[in-house]
Amino acid sequence: MSDPSRDDERELVERAKRDPRQFGTLYDRHFQQIYRFVYSRVREQTAAEDVTSEVFMKALKAMPRYQDTGRPFAAWLYQIAVNAIADRYRSLKTAQPLDDFHDLSVAGPALEDVAAHRDEMRRIWALVEALPLQQRTALVLKFQEDMKIEDIAVAMGKSPGAVKLLIHRGVTRLREEADTLRPMAE
Amino acid sequence: MNSYHDPELEDVLQDDELRRIASMLSSARAPEAPLDEAYRTGLRRQLMNEAWAMTEGRQSWWRRAFAPPGLAWAGAAAGLVLIMSVVIYTSLQPGAGVQQIVVQSPVDGDRSVALAQPILVKFNQPMDHPSTEAAVQIMPATNVTFGWNQNTLAVQPAGGTLAPNTQYHVTIGPGAKTATGKPLSSPQTITFVTTAPPTPSVTPTPRPTPSTALGEKQLAGLAGAHGLVSQWSSDSSSIYYVDGHGALNVIPAKDGGVTVIAPDGASSPAVSPTGDRLAYLRNGKVEILTFASGKTDELSVTPTPTLVDWGKDRIVWAAADGVYTQADDGSSHQLAPLPTTGTVAVVSFSPDGSHASYSQDQNLFVLDLASGKSTQLGQAGATFLGWSPSGSALIYATSDNDVVANLQGVTQSTLPAGEATWSTQDAILIGGDTDILQTRPDGTNLGRISGGTFHFPTWAPNGTTFAFVRGGSLWVATAPPLPPEPTVLDEASVVVDTFMKARLAGTADQASALLDANGKAAYAGGGLSLLISGDPSFSRYYILSSEVTGVDPDTARFVVRLVLSHGKTDVSDQEEALTLVRDATSKQFAIDQATAGAHRDLGKGAEVVSVDIQNDTVKVTFDSDLDPTTVTDGVTILDAKGKRLDANASYANRIVMLTGLNLKDGDSYRLVVLTTIRDVSGQNVDAEYDLDFFGPTAKRHGNHQDSVTLTPTPAPSPSPSPASPSPTS
Repeated sequence: MSDPSRDDERELVERAKRDPRQFGTLYDRHFQQIYRFVYSRVREQTAAEDVTSEVFMKALKAMPRYQDTGRPFAAWLYQIAVNAIADRYRSLKTAQPLDDFHDLSVAGPALEDVAAHRDEMRRIWALVEALPLQQRTALVLKFQEDMKIEDIAVAMGKSPGAVKLLIHRGVTRLREEADTLRPMAE
Repeated sequence: MNSYHDPELEDVLQDDELRRIASMLSSARAPEAPLDEAYRTGLRRQLMNEAWAMTEGRQSWWRRAFAPPGLAWAGAAAGLVLIMSVVIYTSLQPGAGVQQIVVQSPVDGDRSVALAQPILVKFNQPMDHPSTEAAVQIMPATNVTFGWNQNTLAVQPAGGTLAPNTQYHVTIGPGAKTATGKPLSSPQTITFVTTAPPTPSVTPTPRPTPSTALGEKQLAGLAGAHGLVSQWSSDSSSIYYVDGHGALNVIPAKDGGVTVIAPDGASSPAVSPTGDRLAYLRNGKVEILTFASGKTDELSVTPTPTLVDWGKDRIVWAAADGVYTQADDGSSHQLAPLPTTGTVAVVSFSPDGSHASYSQDQNLFVLDLASGKSTQLGQAGATFLGWSPSGSALIYATSDNDVVANLQGVTQSTLPAGEATWSTQDAILIGGDTDILQTRPDGTNLGRISGGTFHFPTWAPNGTTFAFVRGGSLWVATAPPLPPEPTVLDEASVVVDTFMKARLAGTADQASALLDANGKAAYAGGGLSLLISGDPSFSRYYILSSEVTGVDPDTARFVVRLVLSHGKTDVSDQEEALTLVRDATSKQFAIDQATAGAHRDLGKGAEVVSVDIQNDTVKVTFDSDLDPTTVTDGVTILDAKGKRLDANASYANRIVMLTGLNLKDGDSYRLVVLTTIRDVSGQNVDAEYDLDFFGPTAKRHGNHQDSVTLTPTPAPSPSPSPASPSPTS
């Protein structure tokens, strides 16, 4: 069964491939999520703007060569973003501390001890940031961006199996820190 | 804690502890990333510029724009007080030092740029023309041509004018090179905002100096006539007049001699409403000359007529005891009696034949022929001067002034004393011994249009030419037109402007003073705020559309756009629909209703910046040049049931004209601009735009005299001149 929104996106992508001046609609659709993702990785507004500009400029230039693999167009944009972020990390070498990041709001039912839970999650994301880059990227795309494994695979230029392995390794490594993650109340 | 279930990860998250960690990871929401909307729209603009350059096969400049900066910005060039300037330092070659290229525009930063002018871009050194022209990018999308005058580039919109109410960004990309081949290393953008579209302005017409002649021309002597008993032909080409010997003559206003119609004993000439016959009195009888045949019929009517005229399709005449008309069988039929005491004389019939004015001794009355009711005009000594073209008002003279009154005798305005005549164009001439004045019936636009003697001025039906008496002769002259009367929209828009400027200035009390109780409630509710704060900030407004939607009381509806900016860049706008109603007592407009309308981000395809609504035509002005092939089905009007109206759509110079409409007064309609509309850069309108409006009220308004209809008659029928006996003699 065809997905109307996917059909709509295919049409937009095809138009933009034929005429780059149609790219604006794709930009409007995807700017927010790409910018949010980039910001979550670089954690600094100016840097996020630089990287996001680079992502969309590269995407525009590459539009004529874009191949529809059946995955969402966004997966391709994430792929460019992942690479751009990696390039930036390579050039900067160091990551910034996470102290003020993930001041999280919590979805779902109220917790018995919200403060403790928030603290726990802040710490788990701090641990995520300490993971190797590729594990970290896979976890963010899966758990923050709610992407499908196959789309993450496109974004990261890997096979779905490799993405699963990265997620497994990442989560397993976090479990190794399980003791520090357990709420104090338990 | 909820356990994490994701079919995709079932095989990798095999125990509860792993799923617990996954659940924690997925339940955390990242905080909203701080976003500068100006960055977002600016990046979009850069992308579109690049896309355009890709399409045109032009040299890409974005790489340089995003390359490590080899430039710095400097401030405005010193010494140019009124000219905003931008200074770019560019490193031309490694190790070659720094050379400064200065790009200036007199419109940069200007927020009220007139529409009919090129965008001038000045360079401080000779530029290579082809590369510089190729590097020019304009948002909104605009077709342009280029011209050079030394180092100044004139960017001229191909349509002749800039779009109204629009912020332009004109970027000179780094592809621009100097004449020596050195490139500008960074794009530079000139930003400005254009004014509203031109409207028929109510500007005073320069008055001729008193010495300026009005083309005065002497036609014929009056043989000692006292006063002027005359009548213009319905086509304003000739004047019928009675001279001092009682002869009824006709003379062309331009060239030609006198023709005698009746050699003696004539009075009271009156051209029929259809212009084909002339009635007059002679020797106590009514004579009717039919122009086509040249034949004169004589009507023996009783009682003896003293004044004759036309009421619609038949003769009316005054006699000593009443006003009469001719019944179908030819007999006399009294319409209304006259008083039986004192000396009574009818002096004039109204143009529509429904009223007469008569004197009784020293007093002046208006008589309703249908009811027989008389109403006194002014005090004793008042003399009749003339009727308004429709006959719904009149002018009489007192010892001090001329007075405009309605048919109930209520004074509408007071004018300077003199001999007055009221034109089909609602201009009143007031003549006398030394000069002639012109004014609106309400006394506005009063001015002296010439010096000299102008007795008994009498407008021709065309409202341009008038006859008068000077030195015992009949003359004609041409009066300069009065400036257009301020319309309901003119008056209401002043209130809207004052209201919006007060809001821009942050003075809520001044803005609130223009709201009536309903209006205050609208802004006190949750949907609308008088003051708009925050970033992006309220930076400017413009009136998108305006229309008269009702009379009695006058009602006007405006759709206003409030533009929000971040820094110098307009990023979004929001609409408010304001309904203004004229207060019955103060006669001033107040804002009675206000509703919030669409909120749109800018820079996402062509934007509607002006909508002009007439009953048969709706004119929609865009900020961008459009792809004409997308226009026909992209701009439509729906009725209240959502049915598309039949209309002919045409497009030129950013304007879509929908013609052949028949919008009904007061009905609801919706203008719809679909996303199929595409500008010349290939970008579609981002989201459908809807504008709700009402069928405009076609009725013309008298702004200043509510009970007096100052409507000119569509086909001017000759109205009696100030009739005999002469009002001032």
